[in-house]
Amino acid sequence: MNIKEWIFTTDHKRVGILYLIGSIAAFVVAGIMAGLMRAELSAIGPTVTANPTTYNVWLYAHGAIMILGFQIPALTGFFANYCIPLMIGAKDVAFPRVNALSVWLFYVGVILALLTFVIPDPPDVLWTGYPPYSTITTGNTAFYTFTVLTLGFASIIGGVNFLTTVVYMRAPGITWNKLNIFVWCILGAFVMQLIFVPVLGSAVTLISFDKYLGTHFFDPANGGDVLTYQNLFWFYSHPAVYVIFLPYIGVVFEIVATFAKNHVFNYKAAVYGGVGGIVLISGEVWIHHLYVSGMPDWLRIGQMVSTLMISVPVGLLVISLVGTLYKGAISFETPMLYALGVVFLFLIGGLTGIPLAVTALTLNLSETYYVVGHFHYVMAVAGTFAIFGGVYYWFPKMTGKMYSEFWGKTGFWVTFVGVNAVFWVMMDIGVKIGLPRRYYDYAQFPEALQSQQIMSMGAAVIAVGAAITILNWIIGAIQGPKAGNNPWGSQSFEWTTVSPPPHGNWPSPPSAAESWNPYAYGKR
Amino acid sequence: MSHNSALSHAEHHEHGGHWDYSVPPFLISFGILFLVLAFAFHFVYHSGLAAAISLGVGVPLIIAGIVGWVREAMGHGEGLSYGAMGWFILAEAMIFVSFFVSYWFMHLRAAAWPPAGTPDMPRLLPMVMTAVLVISSITIHHGEALLHKGNKAGFMNWLMVTILLGATFLGMSGYEWSHLIHEGFTPATNIYGTVFFSITGFHGSHVFVGLCIFLAALLPGFKGNISEGYVRTAGLYWHFVDIIWFFVVSQVYYW
Repeated sequence: MNIKEWIFTTDHKRVGILYLIGSIAAFVVAGIMAGLMRAELSAIGPTVTANPTTYNVWLYAHGAIMILGFQIPALTGFFANYCIPLMIGAKDVAFPRVNALSVWLFYVGVILALLTFVIPDPPDVLWTGYPPYSTITTGNTAFYTFTVLTLGFASIIGGVNFLTTVVYMRAPGITWNKLNIFVWCILGAFVMQLIFVPVLGSAVTLISFDKYLGTHFFDPANGGDVLTYQNLFWFYSHPAVYVIFLPYIGVVFEIVATFAKNHVFNYKAAVYGGVGGIVLISGEVWIHHLYVSGMPDWLRIGQMVSTLMISVPVGLLVISLVGTLYKGAISFETPMLYALGVVFLFLIGGLTGIPLAVTALTLNLSETYYVVGHFHYVMAVAGTFAIFGGVYYWFPKMTGKMYSEFWGKTGFWVTFVGVNAVFWVMMDIGVKIGLPRRYYDYAQFPEALQSQQIMSMGAAVIAVGAAITILNWIIGAIQGPKAGNNPWGSQSFEWTTVSPPPHGNWPSPPSAAESWNPYAYGKR
Repeated sequence: MSHNSALSHAEHHEHGGHWDYSVPPFLISFGILFLVLAFAFHFVYHSGLAAAISLGVGVPLIIAGIVGWVREAMGHGEGLSYGAMGWFILAEAMIFVSFFVSYWFMHLRAAAWPPAGTPDMPRLLPMVMTAVLVISSITIHHGEALLHKGNKAGFMNWLMVTILLGATFLGMSGYEWSHLIHEGFTPATNIYGTVFFSITGFHGSHVFVGLCIFLAALLPGFKGNISEGYVRTAGLYWHFVDIIWFFVVSQVYYW
């Protein structure tokens, strides 16, 4: 193996695997941050650290790295890179060198995030970086800004690359209405990235302008406005939820169709109504993050309506998923367990989001543990389960080898128990006593102690499950048995080449037959 | 390097075949890392020496990366770059949208505009700058048309005129900035200084990038290496930068 053909690679599959390695490393680091927070909260009073600012740094690192360093790069970096050219029968992406630039910018972003643990003044601004705190803190807000900027730029050039690739490089016979749902989801995600990431980039840039160059964008004393930042930030960061949601539900679609041996139910409604609907509505719901920050009532009600409206396209996608299971020949290999786990976790996360959209309720629930529990279910945990399931699903394609089913399933069940122990209890304590989130200590809420301890134990269980999963991949990649080219019997195009695919993917440019369809599993 | 290679790779797809690679993207990425460190050393840790060292590492890395990239791409006509530029411009436009929206909110809420402390802004210079930029858009368009007809020498001349006009624009902008800063008007003076320097500076950085893109066409062009697709893409970007200027000049200077 030639090491420079890995580090400097322009091949979409290797770029994808570099993305995977980086994002899993980010996941581990951010997971350790969560573990430290859970350890700190396992008892009242100082436990791990006596310095609340240290706790804030963990909080920053956990959120920023999980979202920007793990989930978005794993979904739109790894899965998109690895799968899209294979799914559309292309030899590579449109701009392989831009792709290499994108993955190394991602690594630069991760390095900047990791500098948090080295520098004397780590950023302590959460992943949101709200002014005025972020412009007056002694923490290093510049590294927050540049972490976001490099990762954002990596994502933008990735988006340009993939949109061009899918538009121009599909093999003959792979028409728009025969694209994998996953490809549609990635298209939707990247259109949103292109529109919204630049706004986030501007917002965090203006923070550093304010802090280091003396401008007054968010300085009310001089005519600026802190709410402008909140608007710019959430204009991206709410759609970011869909940037994570669409690819992960796309991965789940591929897994469910393959293991249910069934065509996707209501394909066109899922694509045009579901994916298209989410992209359309995504840009006009962000103000619900400012319910508590203040706004006129008519705007609150409008935002409540449009936020609830998001349930319609999302519902179309869920109906398609469940309809695909209906009368399918279902088998429960590890990827399928994860996919069904996602459906379950997403239903809990989605339904518990409705009270947060309703203004009368959210004013009470806002800033409590309930919110944290909700978004971990709907985005963090469901997204991570989809990533784990997807890695398992394409594992034989990537490595040509098979992982251990036993450890795969064990890892799934352990993690599944752990996440429910943490996040169900989290929502429960948020509703029952309104325990405020983000606090370093909870001496005023001694009745929360037992719940906190259950959550801390749950976090340890998650750590065990995740460790089993990651070790299972590493061991499987090194010494797993040969898997064959298409172990799942999938109809999707990526399984028509050998495993692992060579440079160029196919010996000669492929084309799809008239009768081909990624979900052609026969009539039910 | 990474183009035109699928066919040659087809022969050895079974084992141990050669996989394409490219060093420049790696160099550029880590060059950017050092630029970030330079910013942090200067503005956060106030260490001029460390900042200078970081710049000394970062800038050569980026230049080497860009030069290497241009060399590799030469002759491999990236035929899809025109379509891709449209997506990229969408993203770029959104950055300007967020700058302008922030500005509009501040402007509309301000008790008086321009706020106290703003000096008399030049009225004529922005007109001249507008004219220069508009003419540069026409010259590059004309150059492209000549190139399309196969007149490479004519194209090169008009490209040089365009670059000259772009550089003139930047020079006038720099003159204006230094003049204002000399008068004591800075980004920190008041909200108008904040807006003025941020938006014109950000637009100016785009003019600069546009000029670099043109240079990457000009230098190989002297040796006869001209890619029509690349020129068309560069021209599209330049027109975009030009259109943004209309918003800058109408919103920031004359409103």
